[in-house]
Amino acid sequence: MSPRALTAWILGAPGVILIIGFLFQAIAAANSSFFFTWGYYAEVLIAGLLQGVMYSLVALGFVLIFKASGVFNFAQGSLVLFAALTMVGLMEMGLHWVLALVATTAVLVLVALAVERVVLRPLVNQPQIILFMATIGIFYFLDGFGQTLWGSDVKVLDIGIPRDPIFILPGLVEGGILINQFDLYAAATGGILVAVLAVFFQKTRIGRALRAVADDHQAALSVGIPLKVIWAVVWSVAGFVALIAGIMWGGKLGVQFTLALIALKALPVLILGGFTSIPGAIVGGLIIGAGEQVAEVFLGGFVGGAIQDWFAYMLAMLFLLFRPQGLFGEKIIERV
Amino acid sequence: MSSTDTSMAAPESDQALGAQPPAEIARRFDEVLLSVDEISLSFGGVKALTGISFDIRKGEIRAIIGPNGAGKTSMLNVINGFYHPQEGTITYQGEVRKQMRPHRAAKQGIARTFQNVALFKGMSTLDNIMTGRLLKMKRNLFWQALYWGPNLKEEIEHREVCERIIDFLEIQSIRKTPVGRLPYGLQKRVELARALAMEPTLLLLDEPMAGMNVEEKEDMSRFVLDVNEEFGTTIALIEHDMGVVMDISDRVVVLDYGRKLADGTPDEVRGNQAVIDAYLGVSH
Amino acid sequence: MFYREAGQFKTSYGADQAIFPILQDKLALAGIMAVALFVAPMIASTYWLETILVPFLVFSMAAIGLNILTGYCGQVSLGTGGFMACGAFFAYKLTTAFPDLHIVLVFLLSGLGTAMVGILFGIPSLRIKGFYLAVATLAAQFFLIWMFNKFGWWTNYSASGVISAPPRSVAGDLFITGPLASPIVKYLFLVVFVAVLALIAKNLVRSRIGRSWMAIRDMDIAAEIIGIRPMIAKLSAFAISSFYIGIAGALWAFVYTGSVEALAFEINRSFQVLFMIIIGGLGSILGSFLGAAFIVLLPILLNNLPSLIGVQMSVDLIGHLEFMIFGALIIFFLIVEPHGLARLWQIGKEKLRLWPFPY
Repeated sequence: MSPRALTAWILGAPGVILIIGFLFQAIAAANSSFFFTWGYYAEVLIAGLLQGVMYSLVALGFVLIFKASGVFNFAQGSLVLFAALTMVGLMEMGLHWVLALVATTAVLVLVALAVERVVLRPLVNQPQIILFMATIGIFYFLDGFGQTLWGSDVKVLDIGIPRDPIFILPGLVEGGILINQFDLYAAATGGILVAVLAVFFQKTRIGRALRAVADDHQAALSVGIPLKVIWAVVWSVAGFVALIAGIMWGGKLGVQFTLALIALKALPVLILGGFTSIPGAIVGGLIIGAGEQVAEVFLGGFVGGAIQDWFAYMLAMLFLLFRPQGLFGEKIIERV
Repeated sequence: MSSTDTSMAAPESDQALGAQPPAEIARRFDEVLLSVDEISLSFGGVKALTGISFDIRKGEIRAIIGPNGAGKTSMLNVINGFYHPQEGTITYQGEVRKQMRPHRAAKQGIARTFQNVALFKGMSTLDNIMTGRLLKMKRNLFWQALYWGPNLKEEIEHREVCERIIDFLEIQSIRKTPVGRLPYGLQKRVELARALAMEPTLLLLDEPMAGMNVEEKEDMSRFVLDVNEEFGTTIALIEHDMGVVMDISDRVVVLDYGRKLADGTPDEVRGNQAVIDAYLGVSH
Repeated sequence: MFYREAGQFKTSYGADQAIFPILQDKLALAGIMAVALFVAPMIASTYWLETILVPFLVFSMAAIGLNILTGYCGQVSLGTGGFMACGAFFAYKLTTAFPDLHIVLVFLLSGLGTAMVGILFGIPSLRIKGFYLAVATLAAQFFLIWMFNKFGWWTNYSASGVISAPPRSVAGDLFITGPLASPIVKYLFLVVFVAVLALIAKNLVRSRIGRSWMAIRDMDIAAEIIGIRPMIAKLSAFAISSFYIGIAGALWAFVYTGSVEALAFEINRSFQVLFMIIIGGLGSILGSFLGAAFIVLLPILLNNLPSLIGVQMSVDLIGHLEFMIFGALIIFFLIVEPHGLARLWQIGKEKLRLWPFPY
């Protein structure tokens, strides 16, 4: 990202947040039933941002696979569910969570190898849309497989992350701002993961090979990049990211079938941030998370609530109408 | 504008049909069909075209040549409305053209083929050619849903036109073959057929003979000349094979690094020092 | 031996452009229609009619709709469920507000209404392509279901959020909805209705508009350069596709289940129809029928198979296994034959043409 764009973001984002805040204040002044204080606004915003980090975690898995194989992996959501189910299943069998983590990672590597062998290899050089639909097949298969293996009851996943809410800045706003500690830990984990992945992609040899593969399968093959290995590696990494996301989401909501659908929320994050950009996935996640939380709390009441169901998709769609290449995408020049 | 139409040009063009027409007996064309003036086009910081001006006259075969990256394809893209130049004007059939989408250009009678074949891979040869007739079909949705009756009659009328083109280009045997399965040379021919089905006034050909062997090139040259002669279609083509260019074109414009290097009859261009330098390289 | 086109010369382009240029095919189609109209109603049990044939026909309609958009025009949509819901609720509002309106007209009008919604949600397709568009159609899916679920107006303020189809007849006491409707009448109505609409779809895809969709699908830039307006082509595909899907939704709610809530059309329904066209064959009307048949029959087979071979399985487990098998089959089909059952059918016919000689 250019320094100019960075400055624009650093100044622009708080600006937008303030403008929306003032807007709400104005509404509150005109309409007494509309509740608004800056402290409450900050609280909702922070909760939304932390939620957004969780979306980013799932989106990250999508981006990894898309960058490395040009495959839009619809199955990432079911990978999250499958990882969480396996983790819980192993812990229920009496394994310590660290051991369970290692064992689950191993299982996910196996899944990655199987996906590469059974699905991707036979479909080399097929149109992207075919690969996309194949991943919908994986989505269904993994959903069914995970639940066949581990059952479909809601399970509790607890690896000892504290969940008590804490209050910050009690001096600044009355009563302080309420923050869920669990979300804080999740955000921190996400941050570390992103940093590690960024280094992995930019600085290592395998990272460069990954980027070559993303550009053109055949060209990469022709310069001697082992496609099979690359794909197995990248699906394993995506599996690991899914596991982390699964632990976080599962810890928050319990491990259940709906996890796979929550992961669908990562899709608007992706189209907002662009399919190939890791920073895009993060920023997109933050915008979607904060946007939908704020919209739900302050505006949802006007239309009967539960607008979280679709707000993210609408936001992303409207955004795309004006900037089809996403937040960080390059302007597309079409050639013939 | 004077109305020197194609019927005047046609008899003269017989000479161009010979294997090696004497270059000095050049055909004459007076009416300007399309002219570009001071066209500049850039993408971000990259200048693709800088201040290009030339014209294409009714009934002629106009070649655009130049080394790779000279901006030839960009020029065609500008002419059929796919790229919008930042500066300059395009005058087509006596009217200055505003910024527009390619489908408008198609409606005004500009057809083209592509450097990398751009056929509709999921459709048969016949269907591909029939898409060239889309603009000429008039029946509304109701009749199309009914199919029989007026719509079928219309389909058959256009089918007949397409069959004539199929005969003309000698591709009868691949009529129902999906184009994805055809060899490259035939795909290029089908693409030409699709463009011809539009009955264009101006036909733009982007490297119609790239990647062909000598025989295929001869066939294609013959088709280009026949089209020009029989239908009176004005043709602008990009081609790298200098032999072909010098043989079939009436006038040649040479581009290099987005600038116009030379413009004139094949002979004039052949003798131009700047052109020779650009092609052979020159030490500065 | 018996399936040959030798000796059947076409003497006009019109004959060459028929849907079934070969005599044997024409006879086969006539045979199928005769069986569907006369034999099936006589021998099929109520169970067969209500749980297999009726949903098969309704799904076929939805699959034709999605195939127009995705298979012919190349725009992937994950919003099918949302558009089906539109059809169902539009039809419900229409027929309860105007009880005298003929039910077929109600279906067609609700299809038209859905077409309008389709155009609205198709607008992003003018700017964005491929996966981006697929995700954008999810907006339609989630928003529409939310809307029908949230506002009581759509269900005439029924407490449960469920709409029940009032009794309506096509003529006299031939009821096709409501408690009085007999399975045979429902079935026969659907056979005729779906056959007519399928024929119209087939006519559209082999006419001008169909060619412009396929041109956009195969190479949108070249399509524009030969004079196709992408906006018209894409939005018309969205409109006509939604028209069919909307009618399918109305048929689902009125003729098949009789009562329905918005959640019946959630995202899994979208995937289900998408699977039908992948398995059946993208860009094929016949494939829409084959895919629908496959997806309707598979769960029934899976449900009965364990008891047939004497294994006891819980309903839950069968559900999960069904998911797995669906997933595996999708992958299998994409690898083996990306063009689906319709292509297999075609290959079979080519073989038959040569039979009993290998070449």
